[in-house]
Amino acid sequence: MQTSKKGKFQIGLLLLPGLLVFGIFTVYPIVKLFCMSFFAWDFGSISGQNFIGLDNYREVLRDSYFQVAFVNTMVYTLVTVPGQMIFGFLTAFLINQVTRFQVGYRVLYYLPVITSWVIASLVFKYVFNTEGLLNYFLVNIAHIASQNIRWLDTRWSGLWIAMFLGIWKGIGWNMVVFLAALQTVPADLYEAASIDGAGAIKKLFHITLPCIRGTILFALVMLTIGGFNVFTSVKMITGGEPGHKTDVVLTWMYHKAFSTGAFGYSAALSFIITVVLAILALVQFRMMQQKT
Amino acid sequence: MHMKEKKLIQLILHLFLIGALVIVALPMVYMVSTSLKPNGALYEYPPRFLPDLNEITIENYRYVLGQGKFYINFFNSIFVAVCAVLLAALIASALGYVIARFQFPGKNILFSFIVLTMIIPGLTLIIPQYQLAVKLKAINSLVGLIPFYTAWTVPYSTFMIKGFVDNIPRELDEATYMDGGSIFTVFVKIIIPLAKPGIASVSIFNFLTAWEEFPWANTVINDNLKRTIPIAISGFFGQHQFTQWGYVFALSVLSLLPILLVFIFCQKFFVAGLVSGGVKG
Repeated sequence: MQTSKKGKFQIGLLLLPGLLVFGIFTVYPIVKLFCMSFFAWDFGSISGQNFIGLDNYREVLRDSYFQVAFVNTMVYTLVTVPGQMIFGFLTAFLINQVTRFQVGYRVLYYLPVITSWVIASLVFKYVFNTEGLLNYFLVNIAHIASQNIRWLDTRWSGLWIAMFLGIWKGIGWNMVVFLAALQTVPADLYEAASIDGAGAIKKLFHITLPCIRGTILFALVMLTIGGFNVFTSVKMITGGEPGHKTDVVLTWMYHKAFSTGAFGYSAALSFIITVVLAILALVQFRMMQQKT
Repeated sequence: MHMKEKKLIQLILHLFLIGALVIVALPMVYMVSTSLKPNGALYEYPPRFLPDLNEITIENYRYVLGQGKFYINFFNSIFVAVCAVLLAALIASALGYVIARFQFPGKNILFSFIVLTMIIPGLTLIIPQYQLAVKLKAINSLVGLIPFYTAWTVPYSTFMIKGFVDNIPRELDEATYMDGGSIFTVFVKIIIPLAKPGIASVSIFNFLTAWEEFPWANTVINDNLKRTIPIAISGFFGQHQFTQWGYVFALSVLSLLPILLVFIFCQKFFVAGLVSGGVKG
């Protein structure tokens, strides 16, 4: 490898812009956030912040609002991650079987993914309006509900709107990822299984799923991160109402930071979420590795 | 007989796919149909999925397009997204190239940090980033959005582009060095041209990210004329007691057009980017 002075200089020059941007706008904020989480840091105390050790962390963990938001985030993730993966996989599985229009299906199923969160949230809010289309369908056409459901009035019905949206918007991404994986499964494996008399379901569980294990893990980790990142949809659809019962961790953090100015609290909260997410990602990796 | 059976199975598969597609498409169709309804029909009861043929109107579009604000918001979004995408592409290509090809002190720490920032929910950094923006006088500034968008997209872009560079044979580098080329020459003549599909696919995703970014822009931009499109849309929503859904959705449809164009013309890059990630994972 080149180790000449000129070479080193050029390597440095190529690294410089990245290090600057990354250092100033990402690493510095992370370090700052970590420091803030140990200080009593509010709007009122901009000049004199006191070191209070782990008090912010204690306050977050004991806060019943945070606990509600945390449970909501976990439920959101536990519902939307499998939801997206199952529907995404089924769609990919079907598209992989058809001999015509594969590209057309792929494009059309992908459209929700490229629709922005703001727009998708507003559409869902409109559909789930108390006097809206969905209630009209449920009450007057399908006769499933006896009266209009006030979706935004309770914790779970409000969250369900966000979860429906999360699944709807994620199917396309999973479909593309799984379709690509399905096309790498060697066809002779299926042929050999057919000769041995294996049925479709046996093939699915003994050939297809083991072969695309890497992709399943990749999707699982990415979607779990995505689940914890949910913000815009909840903010636009329920706004945390009623009474912060539908807040997720990030909307609660945002509220604490920008409506009440509790920066120290929000910083501690951010670190708790990051640690939980890092542990989850690690556990998912381990679990998948053990299964092999 | 066998052929007939196969054809029947294909038909059933297509029916399933089309049926599911109709359900998936319903919200989008409803958005477009609402944007074409006269404003009086938006709070009607019972609600209707589609407007009558003779009441279809473009009055919502005429209203949105008649506001000078629209063109400014649209230009703002394009300006910010294009600048952020170009910067990120350049920075991430250089980083990806150096990390893939050379040893330097702190390389492993840098790469671990890059992967780590892909796990951290971006919004958790909003407080220190907000304080930073105040210090840099980037509050309520359109140009001020650009470095933040660039910084958010650089880790993922670097990670992906490094993967593409790893697949470029090193012999090509060696040949260039033999011809008297430098590290820069390799970057410009070998790496960028051969990693182009990767850079393109990453850039499309970055464009999408910047184009639809909401929380940050909504936090730092107050000025009406400096708003990007998502902020303008959410501004229409809940501005008055009754949301003017017709305007909201007309603006939404218009804001989706550039994304649709990019998507249709760059379809293969979309898939290339996703697939390489999926297979590597």
